[in-house]
Amino acid sequence: MATLRERLRGPWRVAVIEGSMAPAILPGDWLVVNPLVARWPRPGAVVVFREPLGETLAIKRVAARAGDQIPFAGGYLTLAPDEAWLAADADEKAAAAAGSGPPIDSQRFGPVAAAELVGRVLFRYWPPRRIGRIPGRAAR
Amino acid sequence: MFLTNAVLRFLAPRVTVRAHCDLPCGIYDPEQARIEAESCYKIIEKYAANNDPAYRTRALAIKEERAELTKHHLDVLWHDYFKPEHLEKVPNLHDLFWQANKQVSKVKASTDIADAKRLLELIDEVDAAWKATGGLEKTRVAGRPS
Repeated sequence: MATLRERLRGPWRVAVIEGSMAPAILPGDWLVVNPLVARWPRPGAVVVFREPLGETLAIKRVAARAGDQIPFAGGYLTLAPDEAWLAADADEKAAAAAGSGPPIDSQRFGPVAAAELVGRVLFRYWPPRRIGRIPGRAAR
Repeated sequence: MFLTNAVLRFLAPRVTVRAHCDLPCGIYDPEQARIEAESCYKIIEKYAANNDPAYRTRALAIKEERAELTKHHLDVLWHDYFKPEHLEKVPNLHDLFWQANKQVSKVKASTDIADAKRLLELIDEVDAAWKATGGLEKTRVAGRPS
């Protein structure tokens, strides 16, 4: 778990590449992040975190938190107290239409521990015509 | 113009985050798993025919390695090639992969040729499922000499 001092170092701002959060967040968007959070925010919030497989800094939406049950592999998986289930906004079809494979999210790397949480996305500050709050996930 | 650029540079984040997807090459073939499983089969045969302890130790180590690769190739097919809609054509798909992967674990620990033979049969069933879902036409590059 990062200390407050480490968290103060940020990142406070991030640039997004790749499209698995479309249409709410697009590649090239610049976002303001709050790196001081130590616990998973409510479902629907967008977070920056270190991916369990390979330390990539990634961005996804919190889909479920501690104690929630996730339908998985024909059964259910219960999230531990510090775990979250993170999901891409774009589904497999949308990603395929954009020429990519399935989005890489908890379906692939499983639940993510709070120790891997880097920050909560607050709002978008670039491009100018889309400045503001991040919209919720579009209905599929 | 100069001022805008300077402001933009000041505003630009220094950290990049990825909202990423897979970039699959789209090439799949159960043959890859079968070749590694055939290695296990042959190693068990050679193990049985040789009494030199050094040779036998090496054979077991190499068999473990080949079995691990078999499992990897089966997993890639299962996770990446097969899609939910394929379940209509191959209703026992998940069970088949589960059995095949369990059989690999068995082969890893065993020196019984029957276990390796059973694994080859299961991989052939996976191959049939791959063909039944159009894999042969869709997931190999055309023009390979037959």
